[in-house]
Amino acid sequence: MLTEERTITERNERAIRNRRAISVLQWVLAIAVTVVAFFPIYWMLITSVKSQEEVLLLQPTFWPKEFHFENYANVMHKVKFAKYYVNTVIMTAGILVCQIITGVFAAYGFSKGQFKGKNALFMVVLGALMIPLQVTFIPIYVMFAHWHLTDTYLGLILPEAVSPYYIFMLRQTFMSIDDSYIDAARIDGVGKVGIITRILVPMCRSTLFTVTLVTFTSGWNSYFWPKIIAKEESHRVLTVGLAKLRDTFAGQGTMNNHEIMAGAVMAILPVVILFFVFQKYMLSGYSKAAMK
Amino acid sequence: MTKKGIKPRTLDHLQDFGCTIPALILILMFTYFPILKLIQISFTNWNLLNDHYDYVGLKNWKWLFTGSGRKYLVNSLKVTFLYSAGELTITLFGGLVLALIFNTMHKGFSALRAIVFMPKYVAMSSAAVIFLWILNTDNGVLNYFITRLGGRRVDWLGQSSTAMISILMLTGWRAIGYGMIVYLAAIRSIPKDYYEAADLDGASYWTKLRGITLPMLSPTTLFLFVTTFISSMKVFQSVDVMTGGGPNRSTEVFVYQIYSYAMEDFRMDRASVMALAFFILLLVITASTMKLSNGRVNYDT
Amino acid sequence: MKKRGERVFCALLVVSLCVSGMFAGGTKEAPVKQQEIPKVDASKYEVTKPIEITWWHALENQYSDLVDEIVNDFNNSQDKIKVKAEYIGNYATVNETLVAAQVAGTGLPALVVANTPYVAQYGASGLCEDLNPYIQATGFDINDFGEGMIKASAYEGKQVSLPFLISTQIMYYNKDMAKAKGIEIPTKFKDMNEFLSKVTEFNADGSTKVWGTIVPGWDQWYFETFFLNNGVNIINPDGISTDFGGKASIETTKEIGDWIKKGYAYFAVGKDGSSIMRQTFIDQKAFSVIHTSSLYNTYVNLCKNFEVGMAWLPATDTKKQEIGGCVLLIPAKNDQQTKNAAWQFLSYLCSKEVNMKWAEGTGYMPTRKSVLETQEGKDFLAKKPAFKAIFDNLDNIYPRIQNKNWNQLAKIWMNYLSEFYNNGKDIDTGIPQMTEEINEVLED
Repeated sequence: MLTEERTITERNERAIRNRRAISVLQWVLAIAVTVVAFFPIYWMLITSVKSQEEVLLLQPTFWPKEFHFENYANVMHKVKFAKYYVNTVIMTAGILVCQIITGVFAAYGFSKGQFKGKNALFMVVLGALMIPLQVTFIPIYVMFAHWHLTDTYLGLILPEAVSPYYIFMLRQTFMSIDDSYIDAARIDGVGKVGIITRILVPMCRSTLFTVTLVTFTSGWNSYFWPKIIAKEESHRVLTVGLAKLRDTFAGQGTMNNHEIMAGAVMAILPVVILFFVFQKYMLSGYSKAAMK
Repeated sequence: MTKKGIKPRTLDHLQDFGCTIPALILILMFTYFPILKLIQISFTNWNLLNDHYDYVGLKNWKWLFTGSGRKYLVNSLKVTFLYSAGELTITLFGGLVLALIFNTMHKGFSALRAIVFMPKYVAMSSAAVIFLWILNTDNGVLNYFITRLGGRRVDWLGQSSTAMISILMLTGWRAIGYGMIVYLAAIRSIPKDYYEAADLDGASYWTKLRGITLPMLSPTTLFLFVTTFISSMKVFQSVDVMTGGGPNRSTEVFVYQIYSYAMEDFRMDRASVMALAFFILLLVITASTMKLSNGRVNYDT
Repeated sequence: MKKRGERVFCALLVVSLCVSGMFAGGTKEAPVKQQEIPKVDASKYEVTKPIEITWWHALENQYSDLVDEIVNDFNNSQDKIKVKAEYIGNYATVNETLVAAQVAGTGLPALVVANTPYVAQYGASGLCEDLNPYIQATGFDINDFGEGMIKASAYEGKQVSLPFLISTQIMYYNKDMAKAKGIEIPTKFKDMNEFLSKVTEFNADGSTKVWGTIVPGWDQWYFETFFLNNGVNIINPDGISTDFGGKASIETTKEIGDWIKKGYAYFAVGKDGSSIMRQTFIDQKAFSVIHTSSLYNTYVNLCKNFEVGMAWLPATDTKKQEIGGCVLLIPAKNDQQTKNAAWQFLSYLCSKEVNMKWAEGTGYMPTRKSVLETQEGKDFLAKKPAFKAIFDNLDNIYPRIQNKNWNQLAKIWMNYLSEFYNNGKDIDTGIPQMTEEINEVLED
């Protein structure tokens, strides 16, 4: 270091000064951006424990004068958040299980499998990426109404039971695995299912995990289809329930924003916790998709 | 294992094919078949309130492209593209700026980065509920800040001129961190020796940014452009929770309009033509952006 | 609490006695077309087994304590029927949800509220059970309801629903301001302009400081009567066209537009339009607002600094207003046991006792003649003097316009008005477009 320092020129000194200035600037900006980005979450959290009077102050307080945790109990009493939780968990779990099973098998078939028309059929899968539920929901809704699938878990899960994206991502990963592993297993007498579950899946578990996390959050956060197919409380999910909770207060009555925010905290918290626990995977999940 | 008359090889292929069958059946049932069904409905006068429906030929198509529906088609196209432009700007430009700010290996930064990225994981509809409170005209904290700075209270969601801005604020909050993360990953993958060489020449920060970073990021930009563009066309949740398409249809995006024809008015006929028009639009956009990306950027790096 | 419970229990006892046939074919009931209905076998409408039923409503949070109380009272008063009340959303959402459930044929509630303009649509589509046999079997006294209310809840002679929570449009005004200015609310629509010019206050920069009035733009019901009283046929007698293109309609549209252009009034739209309007009035930044009478108690509770007055909406030679609020109906696709249980709960909800709870605790109106036309009504007025505006005009409250495409029509109308008033679209070019679109919808 010392020898280097002695040899630096004027210009380099200036460059270092610049760099230091930039790095201070970076810190300041980064902190400012973070504060702004975190503010809505902070505002939700503190509003959720304020009293109604405090919420309605024209001069808002940035720290609650008193903590009213009973807001949470009140919301739980007014709407069936516990039920919404159960519904959301069942729907998300159902979607996950279906997507994993259909996805893993299809990805195997389209990567390591051999059959006539493989590529053409894979194009059928890829084509589905271009046809979102926002286009197809009308016939599906009519179909499900006819089959009495409205307000059922099956109705919530079925249209999401397979994900072309999931198949696509897994196929890419499976293709990167050398055929020799599979051949070796086959010689040992391992069957198709064994090859998939005992060789391919364990070898790709990190990708599998990441993609599954993405699927989980998108299932947990879904709103469009649940709103259409599950209109009743018995199968209502958290996202729809929260929007509905807001309508209860906003329609013509008084705005209970403290209670609405308590509801929002309950709806959002699981995903936020999940995010911070699995941050590493969550971050790579998106960048991986981007790199592909 | 071998059954009579079937060769082991054929059986093997059949099994491979069998693996794909569940996925294929579901895709055919819930993706391709509904398209055919949509086409069929679009030639009827199906109103869910009525017991039966008749075939009416091109009536709905005429309504959409030459009749009174045309105005709403044009409006929702305009609104949707306006929204897309907003989301693209925020994701691409905002994301890049944030990536440059956060581009440091320092540990503290990674915690901040995580916080900025986190909103992406909050459900759009739930985030919309939070933003409704922040944007509240009388007690909202944003209007409080504005009045403190000497401005006037804004009725964010009650005016056509600000409703879209309000929705874009929410979008921006969720999307900017995503743009940042994707750009950051790309910046990290730029070989260090480019910068070292530039440093030897005494290049300034801006020269390096313009000469090395930005050009090297062009595939990422294109990727973000294509995916964000297509996903932004499908916007629904934020509009549904925050404005319900109003005021004055100023936020009535394409999907919301399809939804309201189908699930509020029960006009399956009109909703179906709308949905098909939307489908065609998506196809055109996807095809043209794909062509753009294949022509200009090589993905196999 | 206990006392009230007892009273309800007594009422219930009476109802259940009726069911068991003791009063069958009883004293006063004389529903429409009574002769045609063969003698009803009351036992068919008994609740024999314990049953749980769902009731869909649109009562927002400010009513939730009352809803809980009423449902609990009912559940505790007998041991066969257990009612689960479920908030579905506003009236439009209830309609969407109900129609969706009807199409699917599953998940229908035992009992559901419906906003008053939906009665015809549901009646025509056969969604609701004809209540006449139930009324007969249980000797429910239907004649105690105001005639307009009965008409508003019937379809082609069938009593497909019963009036539950009834309200009407009303102009709330700041009585203290009115006193200070020595101003009374005009009774004529044509005098509105002058009146508004007197009560509106402006800032130095020309912007409005105190609005003369606020016209709700999120529900056409609120401005509908201005058009009706000015002679506009929103739906022509032929049922498939509108008179919106006519002179009366254009003039009325322009007149309201004039109030808005001059800064006297504004047209409240947007998701929170109603709460902003309410807040403006509470903050004394509006002299008056047009809203539903059902919110009377809410307004009085929130406006602590001044007295709230109610006035009949300014009109013309006719002083028509329309029944708002909701009726109760039983979906016909349910099984008989559910329907029987639903009827028991319905007749309880529509009973005089429960109705008076609503009338006292909220701004919904008493529905019974035995209240409206007797000493009870006077006692009620003594407690709520503002309701005189409504009691004086009971004959002017008419059923809603009934058409199955009403929803679509209303949406188009509201959007056009919002474009005229808030975005400066030209009324003369816009009205023909609007008329064409509405005709298209009505013809379908």
